[in-house]
Amino acid sequence: MVSRYVCAGLVLLALPFTANARPVSYPGGWTVIQTNNGDGSSLLVHYSPSVSDSIGLYTERNWDEDVTFTGLQYTRLINRWNGPGTQANLYVYAGLGAADPFGVGQAEAGGFLGLMADWETRRWFTGYEARLKDFGDGPEARQSMHLGVAPYLGDEGDLHTWIMLDVSHKPEGDVPLTFTPMLRFFKGVTMAEIGYTLEEEEFMFNWIFRF
Amino acid sequence: MSKLFSALVAASLVFAAFPSTAIAEKPPVTNPAAAGETVTAKVNGMVCDFCAQSVKKVFKKEAAVSDVRVDLDAGTVVISLKPGKTLGDDKIKTLIKKSGYALTGLERAAG
Repeated sequence: MVSRYVCAGLVLLALPFTANARPVSYPGGWTVIQTNNGDGSSLLVHYSPSVSDSIGLYTERNWDEDVTFTGLQYTRLINRWNGPGTQANLYVYAGLGAADPFGVGQAEAGGFLGLMADWETRRWFTGYEARLKDFGDGPEARQSMHLGVAPYLGDEGDLHTWIMLDVSHKPEGDVPLTFTPMLRFFKGVTMAEIGYTLEEEEFMFNWIFRF
Repeated sequence: MSKLFSALVAASLVFAAFPSTAIAEKPPVTNPAAAGETVTAKVNGMVCDFCAQSVKKVFKKEAAVSDVRVDLDAGTVVISLKPGKTLGDDKIKTLIKKSGYALTGLERAAG
């Protein structure tokens, strides 16, 4: 148990934006989701009391906008559709906490709301996410879509590889529409993905660890 | 007859020289009471390694379970039970659901 907290603490110290694979774990499971891109980093450490819920600590540092947010996030799996060789999910999530919108150390209330949906087989993956946030500097919306294909089918315990494309739309961003080709890897309880946003010429790196 | 006798002598010498070979070729002795039941659950929705890990974590918390293996290709979960232990169909269905997936069939094989 102590090692779990030490692990979570080290990750928090590293403080390394969206990795949307399985935002809810199995009952009793902990998950660390850490994302990085050219604009900033985020970290979510969550606990799943059931297969339909997770609650955790979320922190985000946006270097580009000089905004910091720390708060609690709750994620709810609204429904899962299990089929022969297929799975589809619909999630909603919300976060509430303290934001420092101008980097001057004055905290304001902030929060976000989001919706995620995905459909996948062992070969194909499609996902969609919409998020509305207000970290004290006005509301900002973002939506993104993921498409992926697995070049080979590994079994349990093998290294699983996905070739993916992230298409993100931020209406108020400097570059409203971005395309990020990426590679996603699964191995046991770990997922990592690396990509490159063409329009902004920035790398992204995200990872998930479950315990 | 002499050829047969020679062959028997040769075989005896071989078995005498390599006794472990002779033993190894014997079929394994199994004690039905010592091996637990194996249950194969057909499951919908398991499409990734995270799915497999979830199912394994949930089943391994059960005292009656000695091992769990997931075959993503076949969409099956093979549950090995400890000798003398049982896990009812309803319980297995509940555990699969608790893991986030859907049970579609069960097969049981005695140990």
